[in-house]
Amino acid sequence: MIAMNYMASFALIALGIYCIVSKRNLFKICIGSALVDYGVNLLIVSVGFNPGGTAPIFTITELNRASFFVDPIPQALTLTSIVIGACTTAMTLSLIMKIKEQYGTLDSGEIRRLRG
Amino acid sequence: MEFMINFPILAVISLFLGAFVTSLAGRRSETARNAVVLISMATSLILVLCLIKPVLIDGEIITYWLGNWQPVEGWAFGISLQVDALSLFFALIVTVAVFVSGVYSFSYMKHDDSLVNFYTLFLMLSGSVLGLVLSGDLFNIFVMIEIMTFTAVALTAFRNNYEGALEGAFKYLIVGALGSTSVLVGVAMIYSQLHTLNLAQIAALLPSHMNPVTVAAFGFLFVGFGTKAFLFPFQPLAADAHAVAPASISLMISGVLTKCGVYGIVRLCYALYQNMDQPFVQYLVTGVGAVSMFICVTMAFNQHNFKRLLAFHSISQVGYVITVAGMGTMLGLSAGLYHAMNHTIFKGLLFLTAGAVQHATGTLDLDEMGGLSKKMPKTTILFLIGAASISGLPPFNGFASKWMIYQAAFERAADGNIFFLVAAVAALITSVLTLASFIKVAQSVFFGQLPESMKDVKEVDQGMCIPMWIMAALCVITGLFPAQIQQWLLVPAAKAAMNAAAYIDAAMGNGYAAANGIAASSAAAPAFIGSWNPVTWLLLLLSVTIAVCLVAVLGNPNPKTTEVAEETEGDDKFESFFSGEKAVFSQVGGSDLFWGFKHNWRKYFSFMHDWHSGVVNDYALYGAAAIAVVLALCVIFL
Amino acid sequence: MTQFLMTAFHVLVFPGALFCVVIGILLAGIDRKLVARMQNRVGPPLLQPLYDVLKCWGKETIVPRHARRGLFLYAPLVGFAALITTALFIPVLSYTAYSTGGDLVVILYLLTLASVTMMVGAAASGSPFAGVGLSREMVAMISYELPFVLVLLAVGKVAGEGSALGCTFSLQTIVNWQAANGSILFHWSMIPAAIAMLMVIPCEIGMHPFDVAEAETEICEGMLAEYSGAPLAVFKLSHCVKMYVMTALFCAMFLGGLSTGIVVLDVLLVIVLCTVVTFVSMTVPHAVCARLKVEQVFKFYWTVVAGLAAISAILVWFGL
Repeated sequence: MIAMNYMASFALIALGIYCIVSKRNLFKICIGSALVDYGVNLLIVSVGFNPGGTAPIFTITELNRASFFVDPIPQALTLTSIVIGACTTAMTLSLIMKIKEQYGTLDSGEIRRLRG
Repeated sequence: MEFMINFPILAVISLFLGAFVTSLAGRRSETARNAVVLISMATSLILVLCLIKPVLIDGEIITYWLGNWQPVEGWAFGISLQVDALSLFFALIVTVAVFVSGVYSFSYMKHDDSLVNFYTLFLMLSGSVLGLVLSGDLFNIFVMIEIMTFTAVALTAFRNNYEGALEGAFKYLIVGALGSTSVLVGVAMIYSQLHTLNLAQIAALLPSHMNPVTVAAFGFLFVGFGTKAFLFPFQPLAADAHAVAPASISLMISGVLTKCGVYGIVRLCYALYQNMDQPFVQYLVTGVGAVSMFICVTMAFNQHNFKRLLAFHSISQVGYVITVAGMGTMLGLSAGLYHAMNHTIFKGLLFLTAGAVQHATGTLDLDEMGGLSKKMPKTTILFLIGAASISGLPPFNGFASKWMIYQAAFERAADGNIFFLVAAVAALITSVLTLASFIKVAQSVFFGQLPESMKDVKEVDQGMCIPMWIMAALCVITGLFPAQIQQWLLVPAAKAAMNAAAYIDAAMGNGYAAANGIAASSAAAPAFIGSWNPVTWLLLLLSVTIAVCLVAVLGNPNPKTTEVAEETEGDDKFESFFSGEKAVFSQVGGSDLFWGFKHNWRKYFSFMHDWHSGVVNDYALYGAAAIAVVLALCVIFL
Repeated sequence: MTQFLMTAFHVLVFPGALFCVVIGILLAGIDRKLVARMQNRVGPPLLQPLYDVLKCWGKETIVPRHARRGLFLYAPLVGFAALITTALFIPVLSYTAYSTGGDLVVILYLLTLASVTMMVGAAASGSPFAGVGLSREMVAMISYELPFVLVLLAVGKVAGEGSALGCTFSLQTIVNWQAANGSILFHWSMIPAAIAMLMVIPCEIGMHPFDVAEAETEICEGMLAEYSGAPLAVFKLSHCVKMYVMTALFCAMFLGGLSTGIVVLDVLLVIVLCTVVTFVSMTVPHAVCARLKVEQVFKFYWTVVAGLAAISAILVWFGL
């Protein structure tokens, strides 16, 4: 079950990187970079998963040695990471818009005034 | 001095708070905006300076737990800021560079609009970098890296009407995100094994938890921090981003952001994994550094954009730092730290002079300029100081740190290790090539003949000159007192980096490191072979200069015979010599220089030119390949 | 006070300014005379370089219109001072004025400083010929730097045997080691390095056939194109001093074992040795070779000369 999660997350990351590397369209590159983010999010949330654990919501009196719950920290990390991922995507999209205005193309092969 | 424990967080907060207040109050009036920026920068600088006494001199390690969530039963739950000498060393670099860059921006950015956004982003960038070096929490390091990358990208694209600004920012964002992701994966892997994010606790637990997952995490984190330092093969990003960013931001990217990568790598190898004594790690770090150092200096050779050239040099110098930090010795690490500091200073100075030239002439193309020394004499002198420093000419700071770098390399090479010998020779050759490309800049920008179009160029105003003079003064000071700098800055910082046990105990309580089998470091202060004593030498050089000047004056029978040309038309004897032909405008441009060298290396240069293709897919491919290769190497050899 | 007087004596008289200039002029004169004799000419008098310098000194100095005055006039002086300072760190066999743990690195960079200031002076003249000249000078510098560094490493490794670091950069130590164990030149594994060093010397000084940077017939003296009067005289003097510095460096590095222990005798010995080194490394190639092209210089130094130096360095590093 959890191994499935890891495989899926690395598959997503690999797919995303493949997308960034091979696709020439800037939007597809952006999608690839988002895919990598999702893969990592899945990875982190899987790291904290305990099979059979409950949601980590307790008051201080309920909490005892026998409480069995999933690790809350990775969930917090995932939240942060999702927010950051959304920002990356927004930033990329706004840059793409401006690039389209200036260069008149979305083909990464033509957006290479800085080289050599 | 109990209240000092709050200083690290206040220093970070003051920058972030400054960013917030700027965006609120800055829209009303320009003065208010500049005042807020200045105050928040100065506050954080002063707070960091206050920490020198307890941390660098008394050798304390300040740990601040946010919300006072102290560790319980050997588990660090809270988020901490932990300041040891290494962190403080980098924090000093950061805050000084931020201050200079901010002050310079006041006049440099005067003619741009939406400056409120600029300063907001600028302060966020500064705050995130400071937060990164002071943080004691691995996930916070990732968050700070992300904020840093974001704001740096936004600032790179700030002048979005500039040719290539958006393109440079886009590449930086995509490939930089790959690096950040790599850090995040590393963090997740470490968490999965150790269930903690506190640096000190990780450092305590890691050496006894070496398994394939933590080894892979090492690879991911190494590549991630390498991306932030723009090491090979990420150097094209730096070139693209620097060349188009405003000069004060170029200073930040090259002087401050790359230092975060360096800090990350040093912390990772020396404190977290404590595996710097393993030959594989040494070869990996030194190898990556040496390759970056050499490739970037040759790439800089062919550039004809002033700032792009500086960008490649920037990575080349960071390559020196990483090369020598990878030697794994006390001497090596302190040499690396010294060069890191010096690099921020002299490269900052050079970027600011480039900004001044751009401000005055409106161009950065080396082939279009020439003869500016007559119009901008101060900038010329400042540039020459910076160029002499980066080329390592005595008595400037570049020489002092390169001197230590060679010592460190030979120390390792002397026991018969050819690898470090090659690295040392590469460092020496890189130094000459660096010199060559700065001679090229001097010749094609500041000397030679003034083009007709630049007749009305004026020297930049005081607001830009003063930050440059500060940097130039720092170049000389840090070069003249290497013994003091070693004693007060480098040795404490290097000791702190190598003394993981003290770092762990400061956060987790005494005895935690020993309980986890981390022995206290017994590293003694490095033995320097002969100290470089520049003051005596400067005296020597000065006395000789005076003697020579005396001879020159006295020996000349008639001093009045020195004839200086009038500015405009006049006697033909003042024209440049043209083998008897009539003098015409002729400037030997940057691209025309060093033909004999380029000719012999033309295949290499054309290969490298093609390799830096400018296509974002290719750069992402290099990045992905780097991750794959480093991972494979780590899993095989660690 | 005595300390100060001693410093002044070192800087101004021996082994500083006066000594360097006198020996340098002698070496340059001998070189010119010998080349002339080998080419079946009578040649100039022995002191011709001195006459040249004095003559230049008396002439008016013209600062061209495109020149940046201060740098144009004073850069050559700084270069000259750097060379004199270099000379202070080169032991005259048994006599060392100043020594530090890292003489070799210091000398390397001071020589670089000397070349750089001259390039800056040339660039400040604004002449296109000077631009081409400094470009070529820089290529020559890149060329000889690699073999030079390898030679220095090899020598440092040989003489540093048994020291704490296993490698020394103090010329004092190198000379002492040779006094005890015989000159480095006579160690078979160091012979390639010595040959490489002999080839580095003419390029460092800018002597024919490696004088691509001056090349009178192509680029009108290159860096010197706009110079006249006293600054030109300083350039000429620097050239002479450089001849002494480089040959003396060779003597200290490879022939240190010949020291007699008596300063006066050693000084005379160094003069003789410098003359011999000048003859072998400069006069003979000057007389028999045509000037190389700039790309040939680069290729020659990075293949043949660097190869020789690398052979020695590797042999030495493996303890042979």
